[in-house]
Amino acid sequence: MIDAAERALLEESVRTAFARASGGEGGSIDSALAELGWLDLLRDEPSDAVAVVFRELGATNTTATALDDVLSAALGRAPCADAAILLPALGSAALPGRRTGDRLRATGFGTARADSAAELIVASDAAGGPTLSVVPMAAARVEPVGGLDPAGQLRVVTVDVATAETKPLVPEAWESALALGRRAIAYEIAGACRAMLELAQKHALERVQFGQPIARFQAVRTRLADALVAVEALDAALVTAALEPGAATAALAKAAAGRTARTVSAQCQQVLAGIGFTTEHAFHRYLKRTMSREGLFGSADGIVLSWGRHLLETGAIPRLIEL
Amino acid sequence: MALSNFSILDSRQVEDLADYRDQLNDWLDAHEDDLAPTYEPPGTLDDHIARMQRVKSILFEAGWMRFGWPERVGGWGGSAMLRTELGAILSERDLVDPGHFSLLEVLAPTLIDFAAPELAAGVVPRLLSGAEMWCQGFSEPNTGSDLASLSCRAVPEGDPESAATWVIDGQKVWTSLAQFSERCVLLTRTGPADSRHRGITAFFVDMNTPGITVKPLEMINGVREFAEVFFDEVVVPADRMLGPLNGGWGVAMSILPYERSSCFWQRIAYLYKRLERLVQAAPKDDRSAEVVGEIALQLHALRSRSRATQHRLAAGETLGAETSIEKVLLSTTEQALYDAVRKLLPGVVELDDDLAAEAWRTEYLYSRASTIYGGTIEVQRGIIARRLLDLGSDH
Repeated sequence: MIDAAERALLEESVRTAFARASGGEGGSIDSALAELGWLDLLRDEPSDAVAVVFRELGATNTTATALDDVLSAALGRAPCADAAILLPALGSAALPGRRTGDRLRATGFGTARADSAAELIVASDAAGGPTLSVVPMAAARVEPVGGLDPAGQLRVVTVDVATAETKPLVPEAWESALALGRRAIAYEIAGACRAMLELAQKHALERVQFGQPIARFQAVRTRLADALVAVEALDAALVTAALEPGAATAALAKAAAGRTARTVSAQCQQVLAGIGFTTEHAFHRYLKRTMSREGLFGSADGIVLSWGRHLLETGAIPRLIEL
Repeated sequence: MALSNFSILDSRQVEDLADYRDQLNDWLDAHEDDLAPTYEPPGTLDDHIARMQRVKSILFEAGWMRFGWPERVGGWGGSAMLRTELGAILSERDLVDPGHFSLLEVLAPTLIDFAAPELAAGVVPRLLSGAEMWCQGFSEPNTGSDLASLSCRAVPEGDPESAATWVIDGQKVWTSLAQFSERCVLLTRTGPADSRHRGITAFFVDMNTPGITVKPLEMINGVREFAEVFFDEVVVPADRMLGPLNGGWGVAMSILPYERSSCFWQRIAYLYKRLERLVQAAPKDDRSAEVVGEIALQLHALRSRSRATQHRLAAGETLGAETSIEKVLLSTTEQALYDAVRKLLPGVVELDDDLAAEAWRTEYLYSRASTIYGGTIEVQRGIIARRLLDLGSDH
């Protein structure tokens, strides 16, 4: 990991690049990332790269196809704009594909890269163990996800092909790809949560009712305080996931993201009241983004349930991080 | 392992803290019998306190209690994280109650930082080695979360700057374990009645001084852990003043970093152990899985937060309002854990009378105070709103 000063510098340059790109001065977030040297950064410092870029995606309510790069790299393939990754289906953390004989069937999510890439990389379960296949994109069906957040740029990608180039995949590779994917989405949600809180905080200080800013009312202050507690707890879980990378710390960070988004969006929406109920205010975009990301790589409910089953089975609570 | 071979660990390296942990665990395994309770469980509060003092004495003798404390008070130096780890491990093993044991962290540093060096050198080793208990006389009947309003008065016999003795009159309440204590770190009013935090002075008072009366209070769980302490013309030598005259607020505030770092880490360790106990007792079904999974998630985030705070402290940062975050997390997680006990073990807290139920019941009832002591959750949220969210004053 890089040190605090380098990290601050990186955050600053990512913020500037994102602002330029979304300010209409030049191209997409993807090209801004490419100019920043995102792929080199991902190769050299994956943990910091994912943290900084995905947090900023959440904070600015923008989208990129960087998730494809993160998973490609974790699955041992050089990331490339021409290769899209098939992400697990809604609420699932399992390999998205299933190989039976020489047939490969898979359904899952994709990013906008699925629209333009030539190839689709599919991790699959098979009788002999997990495999990684490369399928021509032409053989896949790609449909945009509408839902409540079309701007979130998700696709549903379906594959049903007879043959595909396939290599065995070590199970640990999928586990680490899943862990990094979970952390990426958790960072995105963390960025969005902090943005929602900033919007509500600003509103509370500016909005005057009964002759005073509503920030003076304890009921309002309590809501925002609880939102900050949740945001800080999520950040702490993300730091642990970076310090002690593994399946459990990443899963818990993703679950914390889901829980935090629920708390923060509810408290902030109530404080934003009428204006937060309109599409004139930015709040709704963050709310919808956190909702549409919740099911990626397993929902908070799903993770909590399976973690709880594991605890009951083993009769012990792993500490996961020491002093 | 020869005790004389202990050397000061270099706590700047994580391996050393881990090594401390490993060695300590091995030693505790080997000395399990020496440390075991000598009473029939569950035992009374008197039994628990006597055992804690015995455990401290054995550990002081063996050196474990000396790590992380300055050499000038009988310690062996090294990072404060070493003693944090000790408290966490002792709590997990049920060798001490974390609430009782971690009182060390809010008492000893006050003497180390504010008492005359000879006084600190004389008394702190007695606290660490279990020869003495001390208590903290802060709260008063009319002073709950608003500590700066306290009114227990100290008056100099003569000029305040040169008086040889001070006379204390007033009352304290919620004084933990006062009836077992030889000494008290006491906050008194030395300025005008309305001087708030500017007119408070701290004293180190011997509890056997004439004029002190201790009346234990029975808590909601039946334990007499707290007491009312009455001061009636109690004469205290001026050299027992901690910090400067009217500097008591600084003394009280200096405790916060310890309370919010090591005490919390020890409590968190204890809660992990309690969740483990619940996981072992709960029915093995998905309803239980959802409930324990949720608590484990909260505990994980809390532990992560607390760890980061201790590393900030160890790196020399000053802890402040941001620790109200973990105070809120700790109190809500603790209550959620015991709510889960009621949910997954129906009737146990309410109606059962075996040893395990007795423990759950006592702990369940005690957990209700976690959003009250140490500054209520409302006070914490107020601090978060004003200091961390910059929402301005609320009046």
